[in-house]
Amino acid sequence: MIVCAAVIGQQNNPLYLETFQQAGTGSEGALRFHYIVHCSLDAVEEKLLQPQKTPGEPSDAYLGFLYPTEDFKVYGYVSNTKMKFILVLDDMAPKDEEMRLIFKRFHAAFIDAISNPFYTVNTPITSPSFDASIRTIMTTV
Amino acid sequence: MSLVKGRTCSESCMELLSLELVHYYARQNNIPAPAAVEAIGFRVGRQLAERYTANRARLGEPLEVIKFICKEFWAAAFRKQVDNLRTNHRGTFVLKDAAFRWLSKLSVDPLPPGVPAGPSPVAELARDYLILPCALIRGALVHLGVEATVTADASNLPACDFTINIKSRN
Repeated sequence: MIVCAAVIGQQNNPLYLETFQQAGTGSEGALRFHYIVHCSLDAVEEKLLQPQKTPGEPSDAYLGFLYPTEDFKVYGYVSNTKMKFILVLDDMAPKDEEMRLIFKRFHAAFIDAISNPFYTVNTPITSPSFDASIRTIMTTV
Repeated sequence: MSLVKGRTCSESCMELLSLELVHYYARQNNIPAPAAVEAIGFRVGRQLAERYTANRARLGEPLEVIKFICKEFWAAAFRKQVDNLRTNHRGTFVLKDAAFRWLSKLSVDPLPPGVPAGPSPVAELARDYLILPCALIRGALVHLGVEATVTADASNLPACDFTINIKSRN
């Protein structure tokens, strides 16, 4: 199950973070995930610096499994525009194809949210409709 | 159009909108018109870049970004590809479009006989209408991590040249 979804901007600035845990966590839970997501940025950077496996093969936006914490697994995806999408899962092994699909839908929802003319680029996303669509994507897995 | 996927709009509406955008800001006294149009184009360019690159392999070098602009971005925004791309390999790229669609309907009143022709009146007129496409391209470039300036030259319409100057990193 996905317990946290986050979007990090081009200058590694947090744009969005939402947690999907059962009741009882509150703001302390969110803080904890802020920390996990923050740590994952190093792993993202490392993955981006890795040379391509075979030259000429197009590199994928989906970065796969980034790193484990005590209770969670962190997955990453980076767009062409250096927007980073991070998902934190509690213990289970999802298939890469499934994760890829979830990230694609996550990215699509994000694109729709930033296309709002009242949204300023590189500021936190507060749109309730984005919230709702993320919630649908992440809880229907 | 592979990038757009059913999200298209009427071309005539688009033309009228870009026409009215320039006129609207030209009528406003309190806002400098070029800056306002530029700001709109820049923002839209960034958003389009995010959308159009969503399903493609990762872009790396600035040259790859420029190629993306010439092919896919141009095709999606201006309905055709750039006809010619030149570079001096020092960060300047010239994109030649032999028939730039957004300016295809632009014309000026013919001069009355006897009046000496000034310095290309069409180019003068086109300047206002080129702010938006230039800003669009710049917005897309910046969003893909390439800081650049974009200028356009429309002295022989319908052909139009766009010059991209990439700012050096140091």
